[in-house]
Amino acid sequence: MFRPNMRVYVSLLIVFSCPTLAPHLVCANSTTKADEPLVASKPTLPVARRISSLIDEQIQNGTKDYAKLASPVCSDGEFVRRVYLDLTGRIPSVTQTRAFLDDNHPDKRAALVDQLLETPEYARHISQRLDVMLMERLRKKYINVTLWEEYLRDAVAENKPLDQLVREILAADGSGKGQQAEARFYLARDGDVNELTRDISRIFLGANLTCAQCHDHPDVAEWKQDHYYGISAFLVRSFVFTDKKKNQTVFAEKAEGEVKFESVFEVRDKTSKGPETTLPVVFNGPKVAEPAFKKGEEYNVKPAKDVRPIPKYSRRAQLGDALTSSQNRRFARTMANRLWAMVMGRGIVHPLDADHSDNPPSHPELLELLTDEFIASGYDLKWYLRELVLSKTYQRSSSNELFASKSDQELSDAQFAHAILKPLTPEQFSRSVLEATGQAEVYRQSLKDKLSEAALRKNLVGYERQFVSLFGGLPGEPVEGFETTADQILYLSNNGSIQGILSPRNGNTADRVLKIPADQPEQIAGELYLSVLNRRPDATETQEVAELLAGKTGAARNDMVIDLVWALMMSSEFRFNH
Amino acid sequence: MRCNYACGSHDSLSRRSFLGGTAAGALSMLGFQGMTQATAAKQLAAQQKQVVVFWLSGGVSQLETWDPKPGTETGGPFLSIPTSAPGVHISELLPYTAQQMHHLALVRGINTKENDHGKGAYIMQTGRKEQPGFAFPYLGSTFSHHLAPPNSPLPGYISVGAGGSSAESTFLGPRHAPLVLSGGRAPNNLGRHDALSEERDLLRRKLRSQVSQRFEQKRKTAHTEVYNESFDQAAALMSRSDIFDFSKFSDKDLERYGKHDFGRHCLMARQLVEKGVTFVKVGHTNYDTHSENFNFHIEQLGEFDRPFATFISDLYDRGLLEHTLIICMCEFGRTPRINSRIGRDHWGSAWSIALGGAGIKGGAVSGKTNETGTKVIDREVNGGHLFHTYYQAVGLDSTEEFYPNGQPIAKADPKTEPIKEILA
Repeated sequence: MFRPNMRVYVSLLIVFSCPTLAPHLVCANSTTKADEPLVASKPTLPVARRISSLIDEQIQNGTKDYAKLASPVCSDGEFVRRVYLDLTGRIPSVTQTRAFLDDNHPDKRAALVDQLLETPEYARHISQRLDVMLMERLRKKYINVTLWEEYLRDAVAENKPLDQLVREILAADGSGKGQQAEARFYLARDGDVNELTRDISRIFLGANLTCAQCHDHPDVAEWKQDHYYGISAFLVRSFVFTDKKKNQTVFAEKAEGEVKFESVFEVRDKTSKGPETTLPVVFNGPKVAEPAFKKGEEYNVKPAKDVRPIPKYSRRAQLGDALTSSQNRRFARTMANRLWAMVMGRGIVHPLDADHSDNPPSHPELLELLTDEFIASGYDLKWYLRELVLSKTYQRSSSNELFASKSDQELSDAQFAHAILKPLTPEQFSRSVLEATGQAEVYRQSLKDKLSEAALRKNLVGYERQFVSLFGGLPGEPVEGFETTADQILYLSNNGSIQGILSPRNGNTADRVLKIPADQPEQIAGELYLSVLNRRPDATETQEVAELLAGKTGAARNDMVIDLVWALMMSSEFRFNH
Repeated sequence: MRCNYACGSHDSLSRRSFLGGTAAGALSMLGFQGMTQATAAKQLAAQQKQVVVFWLSGGVSQLETWDPKPGTETGGPFLSIPTSAPGVHISELLPYTAQQMHHLALVRGINTKENDHGKGAYIMQTGRKEQPGFAFPYLGSTFSHHLAPPNSPLPGYISVGAGGSSAESTFLGPRHAPLVLSGGRAPNNLGRHDALSEERDLLRRKLRSQVSQRFEQKRKTAHTEVYNESFDQAAALMSRSDIFDFSKFSDKDLERYGKHDFGRHCLMARQLVEKGVTFVKVGHTNYDTHSENFNFHIEQLGEFDRPFATFISDLYDRGLLEHTLIICMCEFGRTPRINSRIGRDHWGSAWSIALGGAGIKGGAVSGKTNETGTKVIDREVNGGHLFHTYYQAVGLDSTEEFYPNGQPIAKADPKTEPIKEILA
């Protein structure tokens, strides 16, 4: 951990926010200093309603025989790994793992959650998840990606309300000094109205309206062409403009322009009434009326060659408000569902962008509750994630004796009766590999007093980029399901940068394991398993390690330890957040 | 979409226990390598059918290729030329291909009723219309499943310059997903790291598999199986890295195929077929010619024609064409009407493809369009007919069902039948 005043802060939080908890603390290794704390200076958790137990009630009510089908609550080992991955984006270090497993306090899980929510790593990790959600790994275009990443990270660190964040992003045209990063959402898509309409409805409204561009959606009766063009109408006047003098590209706007659409089916049938049009409107909300101007008076700055026009009235400026307004529950519902899926491994509405009556939520009342409460909290990310991870639903084991005997139907993931295996994101995978091998620790030691999340990331980002390029999927495509390719495995198996960090180096995993005397196989196996899989080995596993190392000395012993670290790290147990 | 291939079926259980523990996958690979080249080649020739798809993405114009209409209002500026198949004329943009026409058959009566790129591509590569809730595998994965020898160390489906996603194999699982040679290069990191002996590599994989197996005992394993199989696939690739050594093409071959990406990709495909890969997809792109249709086709087909023709003649010379089915297709054709930008738009209702090689009657033509090419007037077929034809061309009964995940799946749409007149 990076913040020296963590303890004080955490205890404040606990006192304010969860009076039922004793002010107990997990003693993690909070010995290092931060040069730039990323956390806001005042506690941001409001005294909000606890809904963890309501979540569990709704989930249990959703399935007949839930009690019989449900997995037990997960072990401490499963929990510590899962919650570090979900809240900080990496597995815990061996020290953090030991500290948690050795802690005997009954409330240690809640205390750990509160502690992790205040780390700079939380801000980095959650902002990266938001980044992937918003940008779908689109490459750099016009806007500096680092600026954008910092903007998101600061927003998460200060726990900016999610609706406010989205409004800022949708209001930005990139012209103002302080808001260039925010304009990335529009500019990385090159201002393409259709691409933006598709992405805005998919990401923020849970509706993939792509098919409704050309006609009413063929498979979803309630998605009309009007819905598509209602969103387009906010954007149709905007375009990408490069100011040559300032050497700056912005998302500019004209004072005129309407959407026109007709169904291609009608054209073919020759029954077309001719093109239709609509005012800007978000789904079934109110149409956004606009002021009328006398001809010639529509602009503050009139369009001219090489000049950015500025209309008196901006249609696009209405989009963020209309989208996040209290009259549009779809936004809150979609966000509540997306964050649920991020933590639980599957949406209550699933797929996430298919929220319509033919694809009902698995737990309709729960989704309503989450939507209401997320709005009531003021779109408080930290509060919401805390409630989710403190639920029993989140803390169920992924292991279930019944898997061998029950059908897929009976143990469907949609029942949330067991933890769903979540493939590590490329960022989680790379960070966790670096933590498991001890490479992250090597860097921490070398940074010493200068250690901060930002400084550490600088050292690790090269690895992160390699993982993202191999495991990150196609730019502009939503992440769905789990894909794996031979290329990825060849990288993990043969690439020099992975092989390089396995070798013993002062303080890394192989080094620590090799320093344990050969006549203590239990310690050796323990160190290995705690470092890589964040749990203690069972008797069979200890035995296996002992046999593999028996009689080996020097280089042979060295190699065997490296191979063990690799094998554990490449196992399914490591590849998934379970 | 969630991967739901083979969940909990007997098939998958037996395969898992087979692979687990003993690194049997790796051992059987060694066995294959130990076979003499001659025996292996003989076996391939005797039993193994192979398939090569040329995918002209964007939608090549049927009027500028297989079904020219010179002298009509829709025909465009190009003439048609006679070919090595008596009575069959194709566009003058394909002079080299015309010389190989006796190996090829044409299907000129396709009506897929689909003008969307994604949906058209789906129909042509799965033989079905998209339907919500069920994803059919693409033909590369399908033929890898049906034709690749069960213990072959070679990947069953390789895509060169044509993209591809591991989602293509759907319920057939990752073993039949495309190996994408991105940028037309051999996979990176194919060679074992210097620090590792073969023995250590095997041991590491065995340990990895044991740890994974213990973890998976009481868990839902659709995802973990995918992950585990990709390790087997990677090991298999390493054992046959020779198929990816593309450094030894002769100058003469490079000259014959043309010094551009597509020419090189065709040469790579030839090598992959020679080495026994079951299914190869080669891509050529930029046919979505909404404007400047004719200039684009001069350029694109000018690049396509010679390497494609050379590929067919090389396969014939080497005796490979006998057991290799060639399909040249795309997502749809282009409108007969020429638009105001001298372009042609999307047209799924009357268009053509070419196929040849194994099981195909060279020089045969099926189907006919009207004088302006706007309608099919004889022998209308759709994706289902084509799939029956592909299956039967490689000697499989297309009217059967198969049971990849314990449920019966019709190989091809039961409402359609093969195009018998082009089958040998």
